[in-house]
Amino acid sequence: MNTELLNEISEKLQRGKAKDVSALVNQALEEGIAPDVILNDALVVGMNIVGEKFRSNEVFVPEVLVAARAMNAGLKILNPVLADAGVEPIGTAVICTVKGDMHDIGKNLVRMMIEGQGIKCVDLGVDAAPEAVVAAVKENNAQLVCLSALLTTTMGGQRDVIEALCEAGIRDTVRVMVGGAPVTKEWADDIGADCYTLDAASAAKEAKRLILEMKKG
Amino acid sequence: MSGVSIIWQGCKLNGSHDKPSPWGLRGESFRFYSNQTNHNNPPKTIHHKKGAPPAHSVPGANITMTNRERALNILHYKPYDRMPAVHFGYWPELLYEWAEQGKIPLALAQSWGDGNAADEELDRLIGWDFNWYRTAGAHTGLLPGFEHKVLEVLPDGTRRVQNGDGLIEKIRPGVTSIPSEDDYLLKDRAAFEELYKPKMQFSPARINYEYFKNFNETRRYDVPVGLHLGSVLGSIRSMVSVVGMSYLIYDEDEELFADIVDTFAEMQYQCAEEILATGAKFDFAHYWEDICYNSGPLLSPEIFNELCAKHYKKRNDLCHKYGIDIISLDCDGVTEKLLPTWYENGINTMFPIEIGTWGDQFEAARNKFGTGMRGVGGMDKTVLRRDKAAVDRELVRLRRLSALGGFIPCPDHRLMPGTKFELVQYYAEEIKKIK
Ligand code: B12
Repeated sequence: MNTELLNEISEKLQRGKAKDVSALVNQALEEGIAPDVILNDALVVGMNIVGEKFRSNEVFVPEVLVAARAMNAGLKILNPVLADAGVEPIGTAVICTVKGDMHDIGKNLVRMMIEGQGIKCVDLGVDAAPEAVVAAVKENNAQLVCLSALLTTTMGGQRDVIEALCEAGIRDTVRVMVGGAPVTKEWADDIGADCYTLDAASAAKEAKRLILEMKKG
Repeated sequence: MSGVSIIWQGCKLNGSHDKPSPWGLRGESFRFYSNQTNHNNPPKTIHHKKGAPPAHSVPGANITMTNRERALNILHYKPYDRMPAVHFGYWPELLYEWAEQGKIPLALAQSWGDGNAADEELDRLIGWDFNWYRTAGAHTGLLPGFEHKVLEVLPDGTRRVQNGDGLIEKIRPGVTSIPSEDDYLLKDRAAFEELYKPKMQFSPARINYEYFKNFNETRRYDVPVGLHLGSVLGSIRSMVSVVGMSYLIYDEDEELFADIVDTFAEMQYQCAEEILATGAKFDFAHYWEDICYNSGPLLSPEIFNELCAKHYKKRNDLCHKYGIDIISLDCDGVTEKLLPTWYENGINTMFPIEIGTWGDQFEAARNKFGTGMRGVGGMDKTVLRRDKAAVDRELVRLRRLSALGGFIPCPDHRLMPGTKFELVQYYAEEIKKIK
């Protein structure tokens, strides 16, 4: 297998070169490399490196955003091929920014990195009502719910979602992750969330762990 | 039309987290825009008293100081009689909450703006000495601004609106805070050269010369009054959103983002130069940047330094030439990585300081830069939503920080909904006891 090509895709992705990534993903497919190999050994590897560097402050938000744009360019080509080949995501997450809150940069980074772990993300956008989260969990048989809040005044919305999941009788079927600027581990414990992380790269790792745990039962 | 004929020094507080408005700035003036007006609303005219300051005599002490003297003495490590009780305004929702609870008249909630008559009335009711955010400046935004237009109304009533910055926002029905960003016009070299560059030039229409010529006679002398210097990166960030800024930094045209920053910064320098040349005297100067968040800067410190350092230096050197030696900056988050660029290029005061989930930043900055670094802020305003014991604990911390000198405690950013009126009164009373 052409590992050089896969490395090159990963490197271009890390440098945010979307056009190059598209061209190289096409080339890899033409060379007969399996789509899941391109996904896991090039795109995901590249995005994980960016995530780690972001976590350790070696790169910053712009570098992550341009890398994510490059990843998306690659995924646009790969997704239909992956679907044709019957490659399944490892699980499904519902992600949103909670009611009353319009901040979405952090939420989008978390989504991109979670997707980078091979998890399907149903993104409800910003200002998402608890009922909408409950409906999306049911509809997509999601194992994970990711809630972002950036305002002290909206973080209560994370608790509202957890309560709504309880009321709908599906709290046990999902794990709930919370994050955002005013959110702390204490807050997460307080509202009965399963997980809190400070940044998107850690969120992605935890998401994978939680989904695999859920699947094991 | 973006208000060319409007008097810029008016106070307008919409926009991204207290950024300078397209019509210029807040503070010491006759015209104010309330926090909730949007860019299209006409200015309200509110008159308030100006001129000779009432000196505050201090019972039992033989020094009589104005709040301005107190504040400036603290920031210059000179003796002062007591700590002034300063604040940085309110979320409008909080004032409506207080009005509903019968704590304040509804009219105050409706007309509040930094430093206006309603603000001063609230100061009296609460026991604050003054609102720190009292600045005047030029129109440092796009001139003329883009036409405000509704591009689309979505089925749920959300309107997609192009604002004066060329940013396309989604305004949801019933939401009064800053809308969410959807798209932006400044995407490439062509948009910059054709649409933006002409709007980023200096013109005398950016400055109300009449106002600044009379500034020294009409300004207040009992509170500090600052010159608003605009921003170097913040306003550009809010024209294109964080995402747009990121894409522009990494545009294929590698010079593009630097050209935008240089063009915009040069115009703002000229504005400051013109205002200072009128002879108007200021106690401090201030930048709005909002370029940090809870894990650090919104862009790499190296890129930031490369793009911005020279502009801070040029503007700050100009201030120094006119005797302004306190220069502050609003950052919005964890500043550690950008502080060296700011400090080395003349910014010597953190305002506000931002105490988020990461805790105090002032002491670390003081340890790193010494007494050259001052602060106004650093008060954990969340205690004002809790109870007296929490306020007391915060006061202990603030007393210790105040003892370091060059530090004036102030709730960081606006007091938010859920804040208890009586606790604010209590805090204002107690903070004045720091001597
Ligand atoms: C950019 C910004 C905006 C933009 C948002 C643009 C957008 N598309 O999101 C605009 C200008 C629209 C905006 C609006 C407002 N904002 Co604002 N905003 C910011 C700012 C400067 C940066 C936020 C950001 O994008 N950070 C970058 C991303 C990458 O970081 P992040 O979101 O924190 O996400 C990371 C982690 O938190 C974590 N994470 C995030 N979500 C999740 C979710 C999960 C599940 C997990 C595990 C992890 C996780 O991972 C991410 C990546 O590592 C912050 C400052 C700050 N200190 O945070 C203020 C800030 C959040 N805003 C604030 C305010 C007050 C407002 C307004 C109310 C202002 C107003 N007057 O209207 C409005 C609110 C509108 C609304 N109803 O939501 C305050 C909140 C204060 C408070 N205590 O509540 C802040 C803190 C500014 C301040 N210092 O006062 N804002």
